[in-house]
Amino acid sequence: MASSGTAVSLSNVRKTYRIGEPVHALDGVSLEVPRGSYTAIMGPSGSGKSTLMNLVGCLDTPTEGTVVVGGRDVGTLSDRERTRLRGTEVGFVFQTFNLMPRLNAVENVALPQLFQSIDRDERRERARNLLERVGLGDRIDHMPNELSGGQRQRVALARALVNDPAIVLADEPSGNLDTDTEADILDLFDEFHEGGTTMLVVTHERHVAERADRIIHLLDGKIERIEELDGAGGSQAGSPAGRESGGGDE
Amino acid sequence: MNPLESLRLAWRSIRGHRLRSALTTLGIVIGIAAVIAFVTLGASLQAGVIGDISPDDQRNVYGWAAEPDSEGGPLAGAQPVFTQDDLEAVEDLEDVEAAYGYATLQTQAISNGEETVAQGSGMIASGPSYIREERITEGRQFEMGAREAVVNPAAANQFEENVSVGDTLTVAMLGGQQTEVEVVGITDNSEGLSPFEGFESSPRIYVPTDPYYTEQASMLGIGAGGGANTGNQSGAGGDAGAGNQSVTGGEARFLAIIVEAESADQADIDAARESTTDYLESDASDASELLGDDLEVQLQTSTELLGQLQDVLNLLQNFIVGIAAISLLVGSIGIANIMLVSVTERTREIGIMKAVGAQNRDVLGLFLTESVILGVIGAILGTGLGLVAGYLGVQYIDLPLVYPLEYVAIAIIVGIVVGILAGLYPAWRAARTDPIDALRYE
Ligand SMILES: Nc1ncnc2c1ncn2[C@@H]1O[C@H](COP(=O)(O)OP(=O)(O)OP(=O)(O)O)[C@@H](O)[C@H]1O
Ligand SMILES: [Mg+2]
Repeated sequence: MASSGTAVSLSNVRKTYRIGEPVHALDGVSLEVPRGSYTAIMGPSGSGKSTLMNLVGCLDTPTEGTVVVGGRDVGTLSDRERTRLRGTEVGFVFQTFNLMPRLNAVENVALPQLFQSIDRDERRERARNLLERVGLGDRIDHMPNELSGGQRQRVALARALVNDPAIVLADEPSGNLDTDTEADILDLFDEFHEGGTTMLVVTHERHVAERADRIIHLLDGKIERIEELDGAGGSQAGSPAGRESGGGDE
Repeated sequence: MNPLESLRLAWRSIRGHRLRSALTTLGIVIGIAAVIAFVTLGASLQAGVIGDISPDDQRNVYGWAAEPDSEGGPLAGAQPVFTQDDLEAVEDLEDVEAAYGYATLQTQAISNGEETVAQGSGMIASGPSYIREERITEGRQFEMGAREAVVNPAAANQFEENVSVGDTLTVAMLGGQQTEVEVVGITDNSEGLSPFEGFESSPRIYVPTDPYYTEQASMLGIGAGGGANTGNQSGAGGDAGAGNQSVTGGEARFLAIIVEAESADQADIDAARESTTDYLESDASDASELLGDDLEVQLQTSTELLGQLQDVLNLLQNFIVGIAAISLLVGSIGIANIMLVSVTERTREIGIMKAVGAQNRDVLGLFLTESVILGVIGAILGTGLGLVAGYLGVQYIDLPLVYPLEYVAIAIIVGIVVGILAGLYPAWRAARTDPIDALRYE
């Protein structure tokens, strides 16, 4: 497929762990994530969601098949090139926020740019702007343990966006948040998505997934089905009868 | 990542564990402090001793006769072989400015008028030029053959009523006999004038060898031709014509001699040394009959003699450095250990950094910087402590304080090296942490 409009593409990806019996965490997954799209991934525990995110996030390489991120085949890259790609093309948001405990908010947001050798003042400036965009303009000097869970997740989101990545990966980003805070974060996702960022969000919860354009259902390392939602996203797709398209490899 | 940024981040995590970091550096602190303190002492000792060799002393060659392999510094194993005739002949040599005997005279007490102080070995017999004119602040050098003396300030001030030029002192020699000296000069300070005396400050009275040494020697039979202690050797060398001539009614023989070269140039010193040795070992000298096959004339400058003292000092220094090296080794194991703990503790942080684009070398650099900072902090604290300890030690033994500043630089370099060596493995472990595992790490 054309890669210009594609942020990420996976073809026949298999990830096998061999601890005694081989475990196929992913078992032949093919997927195109168009630029600027908003995709949710659902599936039962152990179905391979995090494994998929690690591959797309260039943290890992597939056992078989190809993963193309930002136009480059991740499996063929050296460790250093993969790290570079990860730093520039991908932004992570984790369930447990994963902020550096001894860095304050603005430093945490600026951290990815530190490793891209971007000038200190420039880093601070950009990090401050992003914190303002996520509504934390008055908290930039706070340490992570001085912030609420929702505020931490907003810092993490700002950090994910700091290098202008092609795609933002969020693995259960609202798993540790209460409903109101969750809504705030999801609203921010919408906002950034509308700004053109490609979003890939893993979730267990239907109402979170329904913010996306489509939902990919994983089961036992395979794409069970891809559910297309109506463009406007959000609540009107409350009925389970969204538009469904044919499952991955059945 | 820019090294300054590594430094900033590493410094932060060290500050995050103040107590732990301080304890970690203790081994380095102690090791470096020991070296710096001892080196300060050594350098000060050297300055206190060697610093006293004034340029004029540099042209003196100190001589004695001993078996070639005798060890233990000046006069070790020395035998009295040199006669006054020999010294006069040496002084006449072309390359020699002056030559005279040297002897320490055993005394019991010294009286200035009514007042008497006990003094054991404060009388030194030598030639007039032994006390250089520029070191005499009052009066003049003594003259050979006269009952005169030059005293140093410590000797002059040991009486209630200070000795001044023109006073007469009465000296009770070890044998009990009394002798008188007229003070004709006072020196500028009380430090020793040659390695024969030692350089420490103490009361000393300088007198000419004639008459003082000659008298005492003939009284005690020291070095007298045919005396019991030299009889065998004189028999061995007896075939020489010159030998008989020297055995003239108990002439004093010197254990130690001082030969002054034309100048302090190495060439002049070597020339003086060579012609003196040639003469003394030739049949023309009185000494040759006693030298025989066993004894050899040793002629050394004070720098060379101090070189031997230096050897002892160096040995001691190496010993301390050895102990310090062990302390540094223990210190670096301490740093390595804490760094490993720190890497494990921060597994998750490492995972985060790698997930957001930190290269292996960034992580490596970060942890290496941290352990180098620990090493350098240890080195700086150790240097400070060592300098203070060295200062106190130098004050205690009353030496001029000399800080060996090059060792401060060396200490910092050692701190850096120890930091790198100790941090290498932990940093490597950190660098190769798998970000997926690290992020999953609780
Ligand atoms: N490092 C690993 N070694 C061995 N097996 C692994 C490893 N990582 C994942 N797996 C296995 O791969 C499968 C998929 O794991 P993954 O973490 O992707 O699941 P998930 O869909 O994210 O589940 P959850 O919703 O619980 O987070 C699981 O069966 C898991 O045991
Ligand atoms: Mg998971």
